[in-house]
Amino acid sequence: MMAFYFARLVEIYPFFLKGLWMTSKIAFISLLTCTLLGFVLGIFRSGNNRILKFIIGIYVSFVRGTPFVVQIFIIFFILPEWGIQLEAFPAALLAMCIMGSAFICEIVAGGINAIPKGQWEAATSSGLSLIQQLRLVIVPQAMRVILPPLVGQYVLLIKDTSVVSVIGVMELTRVGWVTVVRIPEGLMVFSLVGILYFSISYPLILLSNYLERKMAV
Amino acid sequence: MIEFKDVNKWYGKLHVLNNINLKIEKGEVLVICGPSGSGKSTLIRCINRLEKIQKGEIMVNKTPVHQRSTNLTRLRAEIGFVFQQFHLYPHMTVMQNIMLAPVNVKHMARSQARQIAMEKLVQVGLTEKADAYPAQLSGGQQQRVAIARGLAMSPEIMLFDEPTSALDPEMIGEVLDVMVNLVSEGMTMCVVTHEMGFAKKVADRVLFMDEGKIIETGTPAQFFDNPKTERAADFIGKILTH
Repeated sequence: MMAFYFARLVEIYPFFLKGLWMTSKIAFISLLTCTLLGFVLGIFRSGNNRILKFIIGIYVSFVRGTPFVVQIFIIFFILPEWGIQLEAFPAALLAMCIMGSAFICEIVAGGINAIPKGQWEAATSSGLSLIQQLRLVIVPQAMRVILPPLVGQYVLLIKDTSVVSVIGVMELTRVGWVTVVRIPEGLMVFSLVGILYFSISYPLILLSNYLERKMAV
Repeated sequence: MIEFKDVNKWYGKLHVLNNINLKIEKGEVLVICGPSGSGKSTLIRCINRLEKIQKGEIMVNKTPVHQRSTNLTRLRAEIGFVFQQFHLYPHMTVMQNIMLAPVNVKHMARSQARQIAMEKLVQVGLTEKADAYPAQLSGGQQQRVAIARGLAMSPEIMLFDEPTSALDPEMIGEVLDVMVNLVSEGMTMCVVTHEMGFAKKVADRVLFMDEGKIIETGTPAQFFDNPKTERAADFIGKILTH
């Protein structure tokens, strides 16, 4: 029986690749957007505008203090009641972007706050504009602090894409669910799912470890 | 060139600058001294608005520094600032540190900026360190690079905030030598320091501060040999005997 199911699994292998492709697509787009948004939010969070800091603080706390599944449900099931109807795929991307940006915001703000005040003062005194100070002096130094946890966060976010299966996006985990109905060999099916996730996240784990060692010097 | 008119500043309840009136002329070398917490660092940090004041006026080269609407980028480019802790950019080489502002603020061509940076390194005697990183330099060398960085913008005014206080004693001389040379070039300078030798040798005027107030001003000879106030006399006695 086992051999039979294995043969079936090999047969529908392309289905898994499609799921992997969808997972990669969600991961890639959401990592890109939430990195951009996270940096912008993080820079403001470490800045001097108290009102902005406060609002971003609330945003971050809310996102960090609620389960991701609940956030997805709010976006997918509750927003439509206010007239904002999203397809599953964009809803998944939006949810990922909101969650990811909040975590990345904290990492970026932490990195920028770790730069001594004197660096800002030296850059200010030399006549650099605020944007130039950030771009040329502060952020390049903060990257040493930011990069290792940022890549670690990427790994977490990639794994969190599995949660969007709850709203029916046909990504890797969803593919596993659908398959296990036809091929009732859970261990086999979800081992395959696990291996495929691992194939994307492991290189990033290695990168994170490498960066941690390199930046520590 | 620099004028303070009834300048007041508070940190919460602490009155750090109490009714400061002060004029600094072009080419003048002013040394500011006083006990710690007397407001001397705050005073020079107000000149390029690293610190904001709550009351009064500060004019630098006819630019109202105290006004919120004033765009200071241009003015700051004309004022060199040297910090106690150097604050070189650790991720850049000495050369990159010096070239950063000329290239990005003055939009100078890199080749020209490099040439100017090299001239300034000659001036502070560190040409062989052009490609070193700040962490590879001694404190005295770092401070000389910081001075070169300030000079590369061809400033009209150089401000020094305790430039030798963070240095080992044997390195103080090399930094002071560079500063003395600057004086001979006619640079307008404001120096917060306790280096009385430097003050006696090159200062046009010494200003003594305590508790946010200017207690007295005078030529170095007047100030050190015949201080007018008891507090100044007391202070001079302390720094000379130790």
